[in-house]
Amino acid sequence: MTECYYISQNELPAVLETVSGLMDVWVPLKTGTHKTAIEFAPFTPGCRPIFDRQSTSSPKSVLFPQSETLFKFRYLKDESDPTRQTVALTDLEEIRPALVFGLRPCDARGFLVFDKVFLDGIAKDPYYAKRREKTVLATLACKTPDSACFCSSVGSGPGDRQNSDLWIIPIDDGFVIEALTEKGREVLPRFGKPAGESQIKQAEKVQKHIDGLTVGKADLTGAGSEFTRRFTDTEFWRDQVSKCLSCGMCTFNCPTCYCFNITDDAHGLEGERLRSWDSCMFNHYTREASGHNPRPEKYERFRNRVGHKFSYFPERYDGMMACCGCGRCIRNCPVSMDIRQIVRSLKENADV
Amino acid sequence: MKKYLMENLQQNSTEEQKIRIIGFLCNWCSYGGADTAGVCRFKQPTDLRIIRIPCTGRMDPMFAIKALINGADGVLVSGCHPNDCHYSVGNFYARRRMEALKRFLPFVGIDTQRFHYTWVSASEGQVWQQVVTEFTEKIHQLGPNPGFHINPDIQQPLSLAL
Amino acid sequence: MNDKNKIIKQTFQKVFDDLEVVLGWKQGFDSLHMTPAFIRKASDLDQLVFNPQCVQNLSGYLFSTLKAADPEKQGKIGICVKGCDSRSLTALIQEGLVERDRVYIVGIPCKGVVDVKKLRNLKPSLTEISGITIEADEVVIEADGKTERFPIADVLAHKCLQCRYPNPLIYDALIGEPVTARVAQDAARPAVEQLDALSLEARRNFWLTEMDRCIRCYACRNACPMCVCQDSCIAETRSPKWLSQRSDISEKFLFHMIRTVHLAGRCTECGECMRVCPVDIPVTLLMEKMNCIVKELFDYEAGIDPESKPPLQTYDSSKTGI
Repeated sequence: MTECYYISQNELPAVLETVSGLMDVWVPLKTGTHKTAIEFAPFTPGCRPIFDRQSTSSPKSVLFPQSETLFKFRYLKDESDPTRQTVALTDLEEIRPALVFGLRPCDARGFLVFDKVFLDGIAKDPYYAKRREKTVLATLACKTPDSACFCSSVGSGPGDRQNSDLWIIPIDDGFVIEALTEKGREVLPRFGKPAGESQIKQAEKVQKHIDGLTVGKADLTGAGSEFTRRFTDTEFWRDQVSKCLSCGMCTFNCPTCYCFNITDDAHGLEGERLRSWDSCMFNHYTREASGHNPRPEKYERFRNRVGHKFSYFPERYDGMMACCGCGRCIRNCPVSMDIRQIVRSLKENADV
Repeated sequence: MKKYLMENLQQNSTEEQKIRIIGFLCNWCSYGGADTAGVCRFKQPTDLRIIRIPCTGRMDPMFAIKALINGADGVLVSGCHPNDCHYSVGNFYARRRMEALKRFLPFVGIDTQRFHYTWVSASEGQVWQQVVTEFTEKIHQLGPNPGFHINPDIQQPLSLAL
Repeated sequence: MNDKNKIIKQTFQKVFDDLEVVLGWKQGFDSLHMTPAFIRKASDLDQLVFNPQCVQNLSGYLFSTLKAADPEKQGKIGICVKGCDSRSLTALIQEGLVERDRVYIVGIPCKGVVDVKKLRNLKPSLTEISGITIEADEVVIEADGKTERFPIADVLAHKCLQCRYPNPLIYDALIGEPVTARVAQDAARPAVEQLDALSLEARRNFWLTEMDRCIRCYACRNACPMCVCQDSCIAETRSPKWLSQRSDISEKFLFHMIRTVHLAGRCTECGECMRVCPVDIPVTLLMEKMNCIVKELFDYEAGIDPESKPPLQTYDSSKTGI
């Protein structure tokens, strides 16, 4: 381990406060006044970040806000010719640099999926690209997977360093932080002081323990062909999905779901173009202007979600799955739908 | 009232103090009542924007809520007197909804005085004048709609009995 | 507890031939989470369980399950209900959305269900448990070979702490003995009272802060047994456009107001909206307040009498009446 810093738990708030003067700092906070909702929110002095369990919602909103204004428009009337109008556009605002502190390896992997879609295609998404470029991901090695987690099943793991800029290893009374990228190296010196030998040793031990963990039992990769074979098995899908409520909880909290909708919001002569999250679990997601809906039933919508994550996406992007195994869609599901079980039964009953 | 109208005129001259009241008036009675008031040249405050609805039975409580959320300072609903509804029972349904809504609004922090429902018939031009003047006066007393923005200075209740 | 599961199974077995499907609960992805079960084969009846983790209100599925059922057969749907669930079921019958003779109702008296989120807050790493028992004022949790006791307020769902109807009000078969309600029939709703005691401004601020977190996943709506519009909800129509896609507080506020108004006089306080909210908005409190108003105005409670009409779907023609 080269370039490691150590920061004690007590010193961390002060450091985050200093950093938040330079850039937006997002940390997992208990935002619900009453219970347990944890979401990534801007660091404020006195707040207490929660590192002992996974956040309820993913940090995707930092790079991909639930609703963002792409530009504003204003129609201008031509005074000499009232039948003519011109349009004036105002571009997006300047994007501030940001640090996401304390996300999990699964969350970081979610952005890997985003990168494929928004950056690597024929068209680069300028809104996402700008945010991505200016955001530092400080990922916490995950010591606390639970029964809904399955990152190892999708080719990742609780110690997966891919796609992070800073790597945080929790040790007894603090954190050992390592820079993995150039962006990370730039902010690293703000976090405490270079780690001592014993701290590095301890961190290595923790890392080794984490690397040894297998989170999630079955291997869910390569389910594409089974999915294709089962695609028309309506009974199978109806049976699997009957309890689904068709809400957007799973997709909105998912670190890899990136579907969006674009709408114009105008009053009078002024307005803005919005990009906002959409969910394939909603009925109107596929509803066409004619009124026809190719996926009117919830089993079709759920099948699409499974297919996208475990079949279409890996087919398009060299086997990479659009699922990071964070388990949010399972843990937080109102009716405890289990996507792992559905993908497993695709394989298990493949020849039925 | 004259004094008030004068004040109103002065207030309206400055943009930020403008009060906007949305009136939802039933086509058969209150809209006619407002028209009667106009034809008789009764003086009325100018802060009211009238939306004509076919019957107060059409008055969805959400119209009132949407208006208040979008910045209306007051919402006034008026229809036929009970038993005089053009559709026999529309206002019977309406008064239940309106009353439930009126009592609910304070729970989410909207002053119940900003919402008022009443009955005015087509011949009651004078009654209409009175209703609209009183309501407008009340809204002026309350001031503009405080809007829907979080005030960070207000202490949140720390623990609710949930 | 095992006995209860057995009786539930036997009860359904006796009538299974007449049933198209049985709605009950079975174990979910771990021993803490139970999940709705749609049982179509008699051999699967073994999966049915009932315990304090059976949180979901299954009557929400009835409308769509009946719609999807074979119209020729006119088969019945078997369903397990707790006290609160039975009120939702009654409310659906009241509104003509479910036919009474198309359902076979197995009622289960209930001492309360756990709030998984509260539990997760109490013990973040808890996933595998061997049993939860609810006593008068304590909840006993057995996990990892240890037995721990917690005050009920720390574990039970909000609705259970003020539950006035622990016993099903409508059923074809009752499993076990009726239990006594935790609070009196006319008991107040403490959280609503707490909010009522605040100033108007503080209350507005409270709700704005709460609703600010809303992610508009519409889980509250979709889990609500009385939100029967489902895919045709006006929150998502484009014409008329009630809500924009902006994630402003005012949009979220309007959405929750729409729900409240639409559920006025219909909500049975099953608490599903609050349970499913991923960001902990106490949505049910809005309905609770509305229910207090409805009670005051019309002396009516939803989901009690299958014959009565919801107050906002009828009227009183007397000159002074409401």
